Amino acid sequence: MMLFIRECKKIFHSLTFIIYFAAVILMFFTQFWPAMDEPVTSSTIDSYELAKISGEPETIMPKALDSLTGCYFSNTYRCYPYGLFKAVHLNSRDNDKIRDCITEMSSLNADELEELKAASSISHVKVGTNELESYNVKGVPLSEDITYERFREIMGEVDDILGGGSDYRPDDLAYKFSQEPMTHEEILEQYDEFMEKDHIAIAYGRLFSDYLGIILAVIPVFVAAALVTADKRTKMNELIYSRRISSFRLVFTRFAALVLTMVIPVLLCGAIASARIMYMYKGSTPDIAGAFEVSGKWLLPDIMLAAAMGMFISELFSAGMAILVQFAAWFMCMMMTSMPLYGHIGRFTFICRHNSLFYRSEFMKHYSDFIFSRIFYTAAALAAVLLTVFVYELKRGGKFNGIMFFGKDSIFRHKT
Amino acid sequence: MNKMIEIKNVNKFYGRKQALYDINLTIEKGMFGLLGRNGAGKTTLMKTIAALHQKKSGSITVCGAPIERAGEIRAMTGYLPQDFSMYPSMKTDEALEYLGALSGMKAADLRERVTDILHKVNLTEQRSKKVAQLSGGMKRRLGIAQALIHDPQVLIVDEPTAGLDPEERIRFRNLLCEVAEDRIVILSTHIVGDVEATCEQIAIMDEGKILWQGTVSQLINNAIGHVYTANVERRFMPQLKKEYIVTGMITQAEYTTVRIVSDSEPDLPNAVLTEPDLEAAYMYCLHSSGCGIKGDEE
Repeated sequence: MMLFIRECKKIFHSLTFIIYFAAVILMFFTQFWPAMDEPVTSSTIDSYELAKISGEPETIMPKALDSLTGCYFSNTYRCYPYGLFKAVHLNSRDNDKIRDCITEMSSLNADELEELKAASSISHVKVGTNELESYNVKGVPLSEDITYERFREIMGEVDDILGGGSDYRPDDLAYKFSQEPMTHEEILEQYDEFMEKDHIAIAYGRLFSDYLGIILAVIPVFVAAALVTADKRTKMNELIYSRRISSFRLVFTRFAALVLTMVIPVLLCGAIASARIMYMYKGSTPDIAGAFEVSGKWLLPDIMLAAAMGMFISELFSAGMAILVQFAAWFMCMMMTSMPLYGHIGRFTFICRHNSLFYRSEFMKHYSDFIFSRIFYTAAALAAVLLTVFVYELKRGGKFNGIMFFGKDSIFRHKT
Repeated sequence: MNKMIEIKNVNKFYGRKQALYDINLTIEKGMFGLLGRNGAGKTTLMKTIAALHQKKSGSITVCGAPIERAGEIRAMTGYLPQDFSMYPSMKTDEALEYLGALSGMKAADLRERVTDILHKVNLTEQRSKKVAQLSGGMKRRLGIAQALIHDPQVLIVDEPTAGLDPEERIRFRNLLCEVAEDRIVILSTHIVGDVEATCEQIAIMDEGKILWQGTVSQLINNAIGHVYTANVERRFMPQLKKEYIVTGMITQAEYTTVRIVSDSEPDLPNAVLTEPDLEAAYMYCLHSSGCGIKGDEE
């Protein structure tokens, strides 16, 4: 216990922990706090502009075909490869392939398409700093023979031609082309779920976890890497290597200290949010415990895995490599996140997303996957800690010095 | 318990480069000096005994426990590396408590032990100071304190006096002698004066080999008849240094009184045999073992 307390104190006094603490607080107040400006009531819920995705092929196909035809006419396609906007302009060969896709999905041939282009008006759409030319196309007739399955296949080919991340990615078609506002009755149903099933606080707990999960999937690696490399940096490693303590106990004590200390600012934010919820919903009984439960299940595996990977990669390579690897993994996870930003939960989703106080049913639809992913990443974290124990034991016995890419011990340096 | 370290036929390699050659040593209770030039292999041997390095072949037992049982070795050994520091933001007593906890000490015992050990190394007044605020000598004493915190049977100190001023060095040597009363203390150094002041048993290492092992007086006896003093005109000094091992010089006006180690009587008009000191005996040992030292070099 004494060692655990000492390790916690060491972490508290480190600069990286202070930065971590500040980052969590900043994320909380800049992203989550505005959601608590005013309480959700049956009269204010309309302002949340809740939408539903019908996912009906009859809605998706004509809208998607109109959109694609307009882009084909201007040869300007909006894409978001890795989440970053890119206006794609195809060469004539590839644009002809798009034309072939359109003619297969519609009942128009190439000449008729040209006539439609001539008859369509042009507008300019501003996307960020880019101004894109856009043809306003409506009512491109669908081929009578086309099925929705074949339509999705062709749109998949279109997305491939465009290099991925386009509006026509088959999995995004429903979100992009079948979104419509909820009716008043549907909005009230959402409100009932918010009040009766989520007991207010659980909905806030999910939103809280959504925002904090973004940074907790990556920044704990900085704190972990700093802790692991502090021994070497301060020339303390041989003093520690020569002690009686087992590598297993030392590494797990440090891991536990890392997780506990990094949970503290999250708990603090949770406590502030809880107080605010209690204040906003005076007279109601928000399920604060339920909110902490969902946030704990959601965020603890994130912190554990990021900390464990930070320890393992720092021990195996270096702190810089740990940060690089975790940041790359985080970036990939973020880029793989598709729209909409609610119910984005799969069996192996590391960064779960549910960026709304509502759509509880969407979240619950994936709840078993959510629990699976949390158990999976907790197990992965423990496995990474065990690997850290193994590497640490090798290092302290002089059997392994870590893998270096630079300096005198670089693996690229010829050894004599 | 068998308070002895036995090293038999130990060889160690760094990659393809051999660092220790067939080392055989027996170290008993008290101060043991391991003397050698920088790069002689002393640190490698120290780390191997402390279970921080792997040997290629041979055997080492520490108080009856083979070195392969690293946990046991670490429990009974205190180690002070040559180049060490501690978390600068920790206070002196906190650093000791932390390292004591890593040695498996109970919290209740540790507080008392830290107070005792700080008193022993004369750092009681610095117990609330941060490690970063300690002087070089204080840090070295703190180093000894951390190595002794768990009351080990074996203390291994590697070049502990390097960079200390004379007063701190004497204080440090006395401290080592005190703690060696009831345990094995291995002092590795290239400073002959440290060994002379503290050790009875010594070994001399060079290029990964043990050149000589015995008592300080035996080493000095070996050099009797090979150490001379002579008065030499200053202008002949460069030539003299090329031909002989010069272990001391006192310059007075035109003449320099030199102390020379030589196999035979030097070809100098006023050379007289003199009593060897440990420094000269050490140089004679290196010279007679065929090690390349000043005087042998062309």
